[in-house]
Amino acid sequence: MLKKWLLRFAFFLHGSARYKEIKQLAKNFLQNSDYEYKKYFDIFMISLIVLSIATLVYEVKNPVPDWVDFFDIYLVTTIFLLEYVARVWVHNDWHKRVIKEFGEAQFLGRRFSLWKPTKEIFKGKLHYLLTPTAIIDLLAILPAYRPLRVLRIFVLFRVFKLLRYTKSINQFLGVLASKKFELYTLLFLLIFITVTAGIAIYVFEQNHNDNIETIFDALYWALITISTVGYGDIAPITPEGRVVSMLIIVSGIAMISFVTSVIVSSFSEKLDELKENRIIEEVNKKEEFMIICGYGQMTRMFLKYYAHEYDKRYIVIENNKERVEEALKEGYRAIHEDASRHDVIKRFNLQYSNVTLLALTGDDIANIYITLNAKSLSRKIRVIARAKTEKIIKKYQLAGADSIVRPSTIADRMLFTAITQPVMYKAIYAILTGKNMALLDEISVDDAPMMIGKKIEELNFRKHKLLCIGLQGAGEEGVFVFNPPSGLHLQEGDILLVMGRKVSIDHFREIYQKESYV
Amino acid sequence: MFNRNALMFGYSKSTRFLAENLHKELGNLLIVVDNDQDYQLAKKAGYYVKLLDITDDEVLEGLEVHEDDYLICVMKDHYLNVFLTLSLHSLFPQSMIIALSDSYHVTQKLKMAGASRIIDLYQVSANRIHNILTKPVATKLIERLFSPEEDFSFKEMVVPPNSPLDGMRVEDFDFSSHGVILVGMIDKRLSNQFIFITSGLENHFDSGDTLVCIGYNKDLEAFEAYMKKGA
Repeated sequence: MLKKWLLRFAFFLHGSARYKEIKQLAKNFLQNSDYEYKKYFDIFMISLIVLSIATLVYEVKNPVPDWVDFFDIYLVTTIFLLEYVARVWVHNDWHKRVIKEFGEAQFLGRRFSLWKPTKEIFKGKLHYLLTPTAIIDLLAILPAYRPLRVLRIFVLFRVFKLLRYTKSINQFLGVLASKKFELYTLLFLLIFITVTAGIAIYVFEQNHNDNIETIFDALYWALITISTVGYGDIAPITPEGRVVSMLIIVSGIAMISFVTSVIVSSFSEKLDELKENRIIEEVNKKEEFMIICGYGQMTRMFLKYYAHEYDKRYIVIENNKERVEEALKEGYRAIHEDASRHDVIKRFNLQYSNVTLLALTGDDIANIYITLNAKSLSRKIRVIARAKTEKIIKKYQLAGADSIVRPSTIADRMLFTAITQPVMYKAIYAILTGKNMALLDEISVDDAPMMIGKKIEELNFRKHKLLCIGLQGAGEEGVFVFNPPSGLHLQEGDILLVMGRKVSIDHFREIYQKESYV
Repeated sequence: MFNRNALMFGYSKSTRFLAENLHKELGNLLIVVDNDQDYQLAKKAGYYVKLLDITDDEVLEGLEVHEDDYLICVMKDHYLNVFLTLSLHSLFPQSMIIALSDSYHVTQKLKMAGASRIIDLYQVSANRIHNILTKPVATKLIERLFSPEEDFSFKEMVVPPNSPLDGMRVEDFDFSSHGVILVGMIDKRLSNQFIFITSGLENHFDSGDTLVCIGYNKDLEAFEAYMKKGA
């Protein structure tokens, strides 16, 4: 009976759009660093932690009002508790595993067991609860239990909680973790020298020095000396003890140099990676961005003229280190990676953003591979590829490229036009580059709904010093009408193609946008 | 068909399209190459071709170049292309030199060497990509205008004497009834500059003015024939 009820409940959760929505929202806030509002949640949590620590420090010497205590004990702790529970909740999905088990049982004709999926989910959650970050979260909740005053010190665990919300500390720890072997070796050496020196000073000084009575005193002295801190509360008085001191000081300096050089070298090794991660994170937060593969002549030219228009909404991926450095020197946002690799493109926010990929390397085979790689990850990615030869264009189309650009064809046509029709060449060049009086622009009827239902002649393009070149009908199947007849009525989704000075187009747009509010 | 000669310096697979079209349009195209391989390639394609040392000014001077000839520099080696442009500019300063470039820096050098028009392979492609991203409908139209397979294009036409347009005000003439759009013109009386219609043109059409229109080829031809009525 219970099994039936729980199975029904699992199916209910599975079918509930509202439940999915809420869980996804919680996941976005807690786990998805690409979610644009996550930073506000993180800032809120950091503020709570800082307030809590400040209260702890302040109340050491000063009495605090009741409401501060209430805020710290109940409100902050409740929020931490809710966050803790939510993290456990979003860690895995019980209903999905139950439904999967039920499906498999039906398919194989075996008896459905609720225990197996529940156990797996429980194990997964337990595994999460035993992770260091989850333990810190739990310890950060404990100070609320007032009968045990000692638990107040657990407030300090709230400081560790900051690790969750601050990337730089995490990155620092990550860098240290990458040099685990070297640091462990140095730690072992430190322990070895400290213990040896501690024993030596104990043997030489115990009977002569009043400050060294136990082996603990000796070890304390050794550690303080090797770290080059040297409080001076314990000092050797025998010549043998002083020799030990000299040796330990020299080895201490050497150890500090070693540790410093290990940390610095690991940072310089990881610096590029950290910078690249930062660039990817930034671009992933945009609703719309562009991945440019290859930093060759074409990319250089594109960025030279248009980088300012795309601001931070682009990233260049280049597998040649020197070219990446050149791009960075030019002030472009570039990373040293191979765009044909599945895991590289997967790092981008393909699910939530509109991504356009420009395959602009000088190699057709690489461009086709990059196109296929991107399209295999998401059909939503729009791919514009550069083709070197005419023959290869069909292959690009088969690979799924949405637009193909062949530089020599375009240049040849321009050159041909410049020779055969020089006046027209000037006009076309101006139109293509949007210069002077000849910006060719699109005006979406949806942006100015007052245009809907109006006739072309009613818009009076001539008065606005514009030329109406054509009209693209609504939808993907929409037909393009060149020189639309004056009696044609505009419909929702239509796009007008107009030519004129930028100021005329902007003014025209403004008029119909203004009218739409009337 | 127009009545000027063209000399194309350099021949390769990538400039084959250009040579084909110029040959079709002109009939009097001379290709000049500096190596035997390109010479054989051009010869095989049926062009009138000369194998010359293009770094030698005396050899270049020997070419019969008229003032209104087009000199097209499409050498594969951009050092040679810049050098050739400079040589041609010093020898034939009145001729129009059109050069192909493949980088911003080469474009700058070609400009300084005296090229009248420079087509930068990557700049035009960069513009195309930007247009695909920002103005997909406009880009499609431009592609149609450029594609030789399409029945839709730009056309420049000279207003003949006694044409129905002669003496008419620009705003009084209804181009759309002829299925074409007037983009701009060169008013011979005012200047040799091309003026876009969207600049608020208030001129008269006179014979000798050059009009640039877009439309379907058949409409453009019909309009050109209409202009010649009474001429």
